[in-house]
Amino acid sequence: MELNELGAIQLDALKEVANIGACHAATALSELTNEKVLVNVPVIRINPIEEIFNLAAKPNEVVAGVLIYFLGDMTGRTLLMFPQEAAWHLTDCLLRKPVGSTTGIGELEESALKEVSNVLTCAYMNALGDLLGLVMVPSVPSMTVDMASAVLDAVSLDFGNDKDLVVCIETEFRFVEKNAVLHGYFLLLPDPDSLGVILKAIHLG
Amino acid sequence: MSDQLIVKIADFKVAQSPAIITTHGLGSCLAITIYDPQMKIGGLAHVMLPEPDLARNQSNPAKFVTTALKELILSLEGMGCSRIRMVSKLVGGANMFSKLLNSGKTSYSNIGQRNTQQAKQELNNYGIPIVAEDTGADYGRSVEFLTSSGTVIVHSFRAGLKEL
Repeated sequence: MELNELGAIQLDALKEVANIGACHAATALSELTNEKVLVNVPVIRINPIEEIFNLAAKPNEVVAGVLIYFLGDMTGRTLLMFPQEAAWHLTDCLLRKPVGSTTGIGELEESALKEVSNVLTCAYMNALGDLLGLVMVPSVPSMTVDMASAVLDAVSLDFGNDKDLVVCIETEFRFVEKNAVLHGYFLLLPDPDSLGVILKAIHLG
Repeated sequence: MSDQLIVKIADFKVAQSPAIITTHGLGSCLAITIYDPQMKIGGLAHVMLPEPDLARNQSNPAKFVTTALKELILSLEGMGCSRIRMVSKLVGGANMFSKLLNSGKTSYSNIGQRNTQQAKQELNNYGIPIVAEDTGADYGRSVEFLTSSGTVIVHSFRAGLKEL
């Protein structure tokens, strides 16, 4: 399967599959935090690796990035990125602290964010697996707090098999607070070969 | 106010004093600066991978350490710089997710470290000394290269400010 051969039907189907995964993940996030969580329609990008900085967040924005790679019938990575304020807010919710009390990421905060990312990734993967009849096994999560661009370049260069193209299915989460909207990004980065596996599973390959 | 040039990922630029050449968000990527102190001319390359063999599309020389260095040195020589006066500094080549990368699975490789090693080897072949470096570890960096003095200022969220 060549990536440039993907037609509108295939891209739509991939979006639909991603949407189902993202909705399961959002439901899990909402239950964990007791907050309303909205998701947008996933965006699929197939970009040269040189353009990875254009994915999600702003390049210089500091984010908490949690990376999990997965193996099995389909291989690739998931990256959850929470801009600093969203990461703090999320930590407040998860650790049942008053909103606004987290102002840095220590060991406890890191652990909470990794755990929630693990739950979200697994919810997403399970939904995909059930729908497609595929088995996927996630790695342990690894987290870093740094510039979004540095996180993205490491995720693509160190963990991607393909050094030319990056396939990214991006879903944005929004926590709807009283006066602020906080964003988080869920990036599914399948190895390009795995797109063919998904499409075959839904008889569009 | 001096000229400010921004080098994007997989790109390089050369400039004369007092220009400031900057590049942002180095993770595994490596910034290589080369400076001729007599001419006060310098160049900065923001490379992604050690060598072209790792990719199918090899059309952009600035993407790889080996080819970017060659182009960078040629451009500097074209502006009147001499190779015997050139000095180099390296920034970046981090291993952002070191725990995951070292957790036993071998098919993923530490591109940051490979970028740095390749650059050192190439620069050695060209006979250009590396006078300073801030490479490795597990955090991202941004770079400001002052062509007036050859100074390299490294910004990072995790480790603060450093001057090379």
